[in-house]
Amino acid sequence: MRPPSIEVRGIRKRFGGVRALDGVDLRVEPGEFHALVGENGAGKSTLAKCMLGINAIDEGNMLVDGTLWSAGDPRLARQHGIGMVFQHFTLIPSMTIAENLSLPRPGLPAIIRWKEERERLRAFFANAPFQVDLDARISELSAGQKQKVEILKELYLGTKFLMLDEPTSVLTPDEAEEVLIRLRAMVNRGDLSVLLITHKFREVMKYADRVTVLRKGRTAGARSVSATCPEELAGMMMGETRTIEVVERDAKVGGPVVFAVAGLRTRGDKGVDVLHDLSLEVRAGEILGVAGISGNGQRELVEVIAGQRPYHQGRISVNGERYVPERECMQRLGIYVLPEVPLRNAAVPGMTVAENIALRQFDRPPFTHNGLLSYAAIRRAGAELINRFSVSPPSPDLPIETLSGGNVQRAILARELGGQEIRVLVAANPCFGLDFGAAAFIHNRLVDARNRGAAVLLISEDLDELLDLADRIVVMSAGRIVHESIRSQADQVEIGRHMAGHAAG
Amino acid sequence: MRSYAAARTMEGLLIPMGALTAGVIVFGLFCAVLGSNPFGVFYSIYRAAFSDWYSWQNTLTRAAPLLLCALCTALPARAGLIIIGNEGAMVIGAVGAVSAGLLAPDASHVPSLLLMAGAGMICGGLWICIAAALHYYRGVNSVISSLLLNYIAIALLNHLIEGPMRDPSSLNNPGTRPIADVQHLGLIPGSRIHDGLLFGVLACLFAWFLLSRTTFGFAAKVAGGNVRAAQLGGLGIGRILLILSFLGGACAGLAGMVEVAAVQGRANASVNAGYGYVGILVAFLARQNPAGVVIISLLLGGMMASGGMLQRAHNLPDAAVLVLQGILFLFILWSETLYGRWAERSLRAG
Amino acid sequence: MQADVAMEEWGVVLGVAAGAVRGSIPYLFVSLGECLTEKSGKINLGMEGVLLMGAMTAFAVSDQSGSPWLGLLAAAIVGAMLGAVHAGLTRFPKVNDVAAGIAMILFGSGLAFFFGKQFVAPMAPQLPLIDLGSWSASPAIHSALRISPLFFCGIALGFALHFVFQRTRWGLRVRAAGDDPLAARSIGIPVDRIRMTATVAGAGLAAVGGAHMTLYFPGIWSEGISGGQGLMAVALVIFARWNPLRCVAAALLFGGAQALGPSLQAAGQAGYYHLFNASPYVLTLALMALTCSRHGGVSGAPGALGRNG
Repeated sequence: MRPPSIEVRGIRKRFGGVRALDGVDLRVEPGEFHALVGENGAGKSTLAKCMLGINAIDEGNMLVDGTLWSAGDPRLARQHGIGMVFQHFTLIPSMTIAENLSLPRPGLPAIIRWKEERERLRAFFANAPFQVDLDARISELSAGQKQKVEILKELYLGTKFLMLDEPTSVLTPDEAEEVLIRLRAMVNRGDLSVLLITHKFREVMKYADRVTVLRKGRTAGARSVSATCPEELAGMMMGETRTIEVVERDAKVGGPVVFAVAGLRTRGDKGVDVLHDLSLEVRAGEILGVAGISGNGQRELVEVIAGQRPYHQGRISVNGERYVPERECMQRLGIYVLPEVPLRNAAVPGMTVAENIALRQFDRPPFTHNGLLSYAAIRRAGAELINRFSVSPPSPDLPIETLSGGNVQRAILARELGGQEIRVLVAANPCFGLDFGAAAFIHNRLVDARNRGAAVLLISEDLDELLDLADRIVVMSAGRIVHESIRSQADQVEIGRHMAGHAAG
Repeated sequence: MRSYAAARTMEGLLIPMGALTAGVIVFGLFCAVLGSNPFGVFYSIYRAAFSDWYSWQNTLTRAAPLLLCALCTALPARAGLIIIGNEGAMVIGAVGAVSAGLLAPDASHVPSLLLMAGAGMICGGLWICIAAALHYYRGVNSVISSLLLNYIAIALLNHLIEGPMRDPSSLNNPGTRPIADVQHLGLIPGSRIHDGLLFGVLACLFAWFLLSRTTFGFAAKVAGGNVRAAQLGGLGIGRILLILSFLGGACAGLAGMVEVAAVQGRANASVNAGYGYVGILVAFLARQNPAGVVIISLLLGGMMASGGMLQRAHNLPDAAVLVLQGILFLFILWSETLYGRWAERSLRAG
Repeated sequence: MQADVAMEEWGVVLGVAAGAVRGSIPYLFVSLGECLTEKSGKINLGMEGVLLMGAMTAFAVSDQSGSPWLGLLAAAIVGAMLGAVHAGLTRFPKVNDVAAGIAMILFGSGLAFFFGKQFVAPMAPQLPLIDLGSWSASPAIHSALRISPLFFCGIALGFALHFVFQRTRWGLRVRAAGDDPLAARSIGIPVDRIRMTATVAGAGLAAVGGAHMTLYFPGIWSEGISGGQGLMAVALVIFARWNPLRCVAAALLFGGAQALGPSLQAAGQAGYYHLFNASPYVLTLALMALTCSRHGGVSGAPGALGRNG
C-alpha cells in the first residue's frame, strides 16, 4: 500500500464562539514531506485533529486519493492509513513496548498468543526506522525514547500518512535529528507521507519538500521549500509586524549572591535520586536561566524550593541563611515561586481569584486581626492586583478555575509579585502554552523584578526564552548542572550539545 | 458578576433540595413496589418526628449525638481528609468519660461533668488523630483506616465491659459500674431533652466560626482545596490535619460522653448505637458545612425517631429508614455533578 | 497434663489453618473483585455493602428455593447490580469514588438489613463440601479438611485473573483504562464501558464471597456477619500491590488472622477473646502503614486510580 494523497478544501471549525479554523486549504502528495507552520493558536493542531476525524468539520471537504471523505471517524482514518503522533503521549506507562504496540492492533485476538505477536513484531522491526527493547516498560523510558515508540506504533498500525505535532519539542537536538532523518529516509523510499507540525524553521528548511503556513485559522500560503526562505515564512506567519514593548534591562550586572543551592539531592516519584549534588547561585538583580530537556530534574528542583518535595541532602539558603519551606521562613526571606501549570501547582481551583491572590498574605494585617479573617480586605486587595495585572474577567469573586490558563498565570503572578518585598523569585516555564501577548507581559514582569534587585531563577524548556531574558544560563542534565555561560557568550549549539549530554546516551 | 454570585447561592439551595426530593420520590416508589402506600409512610415519618412537641422531643434527643458525630466527618473534610471513624471515636469517648467519672466519684456536679467531657473529648480526639497521622505520615487511605478503627474501638469496648471494667452485677447486658447520680447530665428545662443538644448546637456554631471566620479556617480550606498550593504557601499541612481531626474526634468523643452521662449512665454495648454511621451521612448530606449539619441532623434525627412507627403502622422493618438514608446519600452525591452549571452559564451570558 | 497442653496447641494450629481456609474465602472473592475494579481505575469502597447484600441474598434465595447454587447465582447478580449503581454514579464528573463508596456501604447494608429482617432465624440449605479428610481417624482433622468448593474456585479465580491481565485483549484494555485513560481513549479503548464492566464484574465476584458467609456452617444470616471484611479486603488489594496472585496469598493470611480469636477461645483462652478478634483490623492497619508511603503512590498502583476522566 502506498501513501494516499490528502487534500483539504475550505475547512472551517468553531469551538463555541471561537473560530479555530476559518477556511484552510492543504494538499499533501503521496510520498511528500510536508511541513505545517504557524503561531500558537493558529489552528495547526485543530486542523490535524479534523483530518484525523477526532474533531468534526463544520464546513469544507477532505479528499483522500481524490475521493470525497466525510471525516469524523478515527477508525475510518486508521483504515486509510492516516495516523498521528500527538504532543501528549498515548502509551500506557505500566505496560511494555510489546504490549503497547500490540494492544491497538486491529485483529488482535481475544486470547493473545504472545509468541505470534512477537513474531509479527520481529517481522516489522526488520524494516523499522528505530530498534527498541520490546520488554522495556514505557515508564522507564526517556521522553525521546517514548517519542520513538509513538512513531513506531503508528507505523506498526500501518500508517502511511503520518502527522506529527511538534515531535521534536521533547527531544534533544541529536535525537530530533535522528528521528527526522529516519522519517525522511522512509519518505524518500516512497513508504510514507509526513505532515510535520512545527514552529522550527530550521527543520522545515532541512527536511520538508513543501510547507503550508497557517495564520489565525486560515491558510496564509503554501510554498515549495526550495523556493522560500525563513524570513518569508515568518512574514506569512505573523502577518503585519507587531511592536512589543520591552522593559529595558538595567546595565548593572549582578550584586552579591542572594540565593544559593548547594549539594542538593532529592528523590523523584519513583524513589530514585533525580537531583545529584545540584548546586547553583543567583545574584541580586540577575536572572539565572536553567536550560534543559524536560525530565532532567527541573520539576523536582522547583518542587523542593516550593516545599512540595522533601530533600535528603544539601542546603538551600537566602543571604546565607538556611531556607526551610515553612511559612514564616518564606515570608522572612522573601522567596516566591511561580510553578508551571499554576492551576494544579499553585492555586486552589474552587476558591475565588481574590482568595487565591491572598494565599501569601492572609495571615497578616490588614487581612487578619487576632486570628480573625477579613474577607472584605482580601476582596479589596485582590481587586486591586487583578486590575494591576490585567486579569480577565476582572472580578475577585469568581472561582479561579473558571479563568483561562493565561489569566490563572497572571493571577498567580500577581500574588507572587504583588506588594511584598521580593528577594528571590523562582519561575518555571512561565509562558508555556500562552499566546504572544500574555508571554510578553510575563517576561516584562520578570525583567522588572530583576531590575528591582531580586534574584530570579528562570527554569524553561524554551531556549529562546532563556536567551532573551537570562543574564547567565546554566544547563541541567540528569539532575546536575553540566554547563554554564554568560549571556553575551551564550552559544546555542554548545548549549544544545550539553542539553543532550546524558539523555542521548 | 453579581448574577454569578447569585447563581451560586441559588445552586447551593436548590440542588440539595432537589436531590433530597428526588431521593424521597425514589424511596416512595420503593415502598409502593413493596406494597406500602408511600404517602402513608411519609405521613407516619412526619407524625413520629415533627407533628407535636412530644415527637419533636424524640427528634431533638436523637439529633444531639448526630450533630456531634457529623462534625467528626465535617471538620477534617474541610482539609480534604475523609474520616468515617465517628462510631469508634464516640465509643472511645464513652469509655474515656466513664473511666474519668468512675475515677473521681466524689466530685460535684459541674466539675465531674467537665472532667468526663474533657476525658471523652481527649480520647475521641486522639483516636481520630491515629487515622490522620497514618494518612499524613504514611499515606494510608483514611476511609479504610478510620473504619477499621471503629471495629477496634468496639472490640476494645467489649473487652473492657466484659473483662477488666465489668460490673459483676450486670448479668445479661454487661457494662461498667454506673456513674454517680450527680454525674448525670441534666435536662433542658421544660423538656425531656438532655443538655447534649446544647453541646451539639454550640459545637456546630464553634465549627462554623472556626472554618469560615478565622485565619486557621482559611488555611484549612486551602489545604483541602489543593495540597500543593498549601505547600507552596508554607502552610503546615500536618498540623492543620491533626488539629481538625482532633477537634472532630473530640466532638464524637463528647457524643460518647453524652450517651454515658445522659442516657446509659454507664458504658455498655448500647453506647455503640449507630449514631456514628448516621453522623457520616449527616456530614455528607450537609456537604460538610457545619450550618447545614444543624438542619440535616434534625431531618435524620426525625427519621431515626420514626423507625418504630414504620414497623407498627406499615409493617415495614425499621431498616426501611436505612434504605431511605442510603438513597438520599446516593442522590446527594450524584447532585455534586450539577454544581457550577447554571453559574457558569450566567458567567458566559454576563 | 503435658499431652493436654500439646493437644491444645495443636488444636489452635489446626483451628487457625482450617479457619484460614474457611475465613479466607470472603477475602479471596472481594479482593479479587476489587483488584479487577481497581485495575480499571475505579475504587469501590462499597464492597462492605456488596458483601452484606451477597450474604443476605444468597441466604434468602437458598432458603426459599432450597438450592444453595441458585442462592450463589442470585448473590452474584445482586452484587453486580450494586456495582452498576456505583459505576453509573461515579461516571458523572465531580462525583468522587471514595464518597460514593461510603454511600454504597450505607445503601448496601441498609438494603441487606431491610430485606434480611424476615430471615433472621432459620438456617438455609448450604453448599456441599468437599471431603478431603476421610482418611483420618481424628475428628478434628476430619472436620478441618471438609472444604468448601468456593475455596478452590477462589484460588482458581486468582490464577484466572492473572491470566486475563497478562494474556487477553480485554485484560490489557482494563489495565490501559486504569493506567492512563487519556492514552487509552486515544487508541480507541472505550474507557467508560471497560470501567463499567470491570466494576460490575468485580462487585459480582465480591458478592459470591458474601454468599459463602451464609451458605457455609453455621449458615445463619445476621447483620454483623461481615464485620468490616469487605473493607479489609479492599485494603488487602493495596497490600498485594494489585497483583491477583498476591491477593490470593494475602487473603489466606487474613483468613488465618481472623481465625486466631475463635481458635483461642475454643482452646480456653477466653479472656482476650475480643482483642484477638480485633487482630485482623490491627493487622490491616499495620500492613497498610508498611505498604503505603508518605509521598504519593504505592508501586504497582494503576496510574489513574480513583480519578475521574
